[in-house]
Amino acid sequence: MRSYLIRRLLLAIPTILGVTLVTFLLMRSIPGDPVIGMVGERADPEVISQMRHDLGLDKPLAVQYVRYIRMLCRGELGRSHYTNRPVVESIAKKFPNTLKLAGAAVVIAIFAGLALGITAAVTRGRFLDRLCSVTASLGIATPVFWLALLLVMLFSYALGWLPASGMGGGAPAFIILPALSLGTRSAAYLARITRSSMLEIMTQDYLRTARAKGLGEAAVTLKHAARNALIPVITLAGLDFGSYLNGAVLTETIFGWNGIGRFAMEAILKRDYPVILGTVLIGAVAFIIVNLIVDILYAVVDPRISGSRR
Amino acid sequence: MNLISCRVLCLAAVVLLLGCARRDVPSDTVRWHLQESPTTLDPTFVVDVAGGRIAAKLFNGLLRLDEQGRIIPDIASDWQISEDGRTYTFGIRDGVYFSNGREVTAEDVKFSLERLLSPEVASPRRWILSHVAGAKEFQDGNADSIAGIDVVDGNTVKIKLDEPFAPFPYLLTMPNVAIIPAEEVERWGPDFGFHPVGTGPFVLTEWEPDVRLKLEANPRYFEGVPRVRAIEYRIIPEALTAVVEFENENLDVMEIPWAEVSRYVASAQWSGFVHSRTGLNIHYLGFNCQMEPFSDVRVRRAMNHAIDRRRIAGTVLEERVEPAVGPIPPGLVEAPQLTDGYDYDRERASRLLEEAGFDKGLKTRLFLSSGREELTVCEVIQSYLREVGVEAELVPLEWSAFKKAVASGEAPLFYLSWWADYPEAESFLFPTFHSSNWGAAGNRARFGSKEVDLAIEEAHRTIDDSARALKYRQIERMVVEEAPWVFLWYRKEFYIRQPRVGGFRLFPIYCADKGTGMFFEDLKTR
Repeated sequence: MRSYLIRRLLLAIPTILGVTLVTFLLMRSIPGDPVIGMVGERADPEVISQMRHDLGLDKPLAVQYVRYIRMLCRGELGRSHYTNRPVVESIAKKFPNTLKLAGAAVVIAIFAGLALGITAAVTRGRFLDRLCSVTASLGIATPVFWLALLLVMLFSYALGWLPASGMGGGAPAFIILPALSLGTRSAAYLARITRSSMLEIMTQDYLRTARAKGLGEAAVTLKHAARNALIPVITLAGLDFGSYLNGAVLTETIFGWNGIGRFAMEAILKRDYPVILGTVLIGAVAFIIVNLIVDILYAVVDPRISGSRR
Repeated sequence: MNLISCRVLCLAAVVLLLGCARRDVPSDTVRWHLQESPTTLDPTFVVDVAGGRIAAKLFNGLLRLDEQGRIIPDIASDWQISEDGRTYTFGIRDGVYFSNGREVTAEDVKFSLERLLSPEVASPRRWILSHVAGAKEFQDGNADSIAGIDVVDGNTVKIKLDEPFAPFPYLLTMPNVAIIPAEEVERWGPDFGFHPVGTGPFVLTEWEPDVRLKLEANPRYFEGVPRVRAIEYRIIPEALTAVVEFENENLDVMEIPWAEVSRYVASAQWSGFVHSRTGLNIHYLGFNCQMEPFSDVRVRRAMNHAIDRRRIAGTVLEERVEPAVGPIPPGLVEAPQLTDGYDYDRERASRLLEEAGFDKGLKTRLFLSSGREELTVCEVIQSYLREVGVEAELVPLEWSAFKKAVASGEAPLFYLSWWADYPEAESFLFPTFHSSNWGAAGNRARFGSKEVDLAIEEAHRTIDDSARALKYRQIERMVVEEAPWVFLWYRKEFYIRQPRVGGFRLFPIYCADKGTGMFFEDLKTR
């Protein structure tokens, strides 16, 4: 297992380099100019060219890229063109917020998804199954921004139960609505996958054996069937978690959540190159780590997987 | 775990959550909504509205603007202009202190102005001082100091200009020429913008980027302690969320999002707390005057006649704008407003196009930034143009790409706005129509007219306010006749406040508001 992990981590290095190169080239191939945005509406052409020079934007692309990689090797991500703040510092402040939101959303997704999926599977063909399926379809079909605004209107405006925006210095009430908005769609997908996975497993012989041993239906379902139905659930939850770590732009914007997604989006709109590169890089690293954790979880849930790797 | 302990745990969780949801905000703090975080609070680099608004509360310049947009002394105790209109002498008030405790001297004025022009600093706003004698030599690195700035004694500064430039006092009200302490700039280096130290009525005490900023009243402010203890700016990018926060009383002051203006104005509960005024701006459709077919003035005039700006203002924009006649918004020039602009006249538009050789119509591309409001407006404009045979393909681009396309001259036709940097008509004429300012400097229409250039330069040299006002109107008329833009409308600003916030006023320009007038109705004794 250890050598497998080391191999995977070493493979991450060319992946990350590839991500920086592709992002760098993509960034420069789209129209826009950070300096034009930075100078305001009335700018002296000499100032524009001096700023471009100071930021190194007048150098050939290859030189700019090599400079960036050199900076990365020193453990730096540069400073934002706009705010002049060190990108590392901003990411260090915002990434834990995104991690918190992504974590809460995935927890909601896993619990709600499993509950709905298992309920639908054990009540197959009955009213409850149909209700769960319709709920899941609604969850998949509902756009995140619409759901988020609806939740704000209902729980903040109409009922006044929960705060509409901000992070409240870490108070738990502030994460409920953003996490619900973000986790609902994942929950819906997970519910559908859990249901089909459970239905497939519930026809297996070993479950009949478990029942024959005198185990109750709840124990058979939760201990024997659900555990084996977890593999596709882990895959999907892992993928969702990874993508949330790259930022949930709409959710973070609507709820004023100070995370990576909003930071990256604003940087893209302003062509703030160091911030774009920094956030994409961190997102890529997060995705690689999450995938690695998912692989380890496979082995925990199903020891046969770990055996086959050896 | 039995059922009772489960219930107790659930109840505790709910109490904990709801308890945490309540914000513990002191009742003497004004909570003000911002859609975007300021980029920096270093006056030398501030170019955004949020930054300018906050910098105004942290710093003072030599001069500032009152509620009517008139120039009044700020750190200056008085000022005189020499007879030739070239030399300004400013006395510095006694008893003005930076928030680090040091008293302001004339040397601080010199330092602050020189920093704006310093070649190492490369301020995007160095044009503010471009008329000062010796500015060019200094910013090119050919002089150690600016010859035109002279510290006469500890309390007197003289600023000499290359030639008379009447709008100069207005330029000195901009946040970029605020007075800053050299020792703090040296101490913080590039991070001075996050640790600003000024003389203003408030001091920055907290800044969580993209979340909130807190300014607390400066107890040593030279005009007395502000009546509110603090201003907290909350950054909420989504308009609907901000509205919910306002109605939940988690915000005290908010610029009303456009979609909500009609509702608040018509609301019996809120209309008394809505403040509005026509902003110092103009929204226009710019032509690239150097590009066919818009190099022909007849085509530009035809387009002006083809669009019913009054109808659009009354319907799509629900009277949230005032239809424009020329480039200068109302209230800036003390001379009669132009009344004879371009009326909506489809037949005349078609005739002008025919005369210009476009009797079979013409095709063009209309560039716009990809906001929802811009798209709606441009779709309506597109349909008006189609009626006179102009097929305008809409090219929505996101802001950065749009600005580049317009500044580089790639866009033949574009929908844009221009906002004053200071409340002087010059701000709507020189940057936008003088031929030295093509592109990113402001003249995005690439309009060039020797007569207009000379007239603007002449107005710059006219120190007498009444005479200058008449000149501005003449220039405006010349520009309207040349029609480098379709002059669309002046946008109104709408703000709303909670009933408990008293003394709230809308200034003609965002960076004029020092925030010292506000108080809480229930805490009037402060």
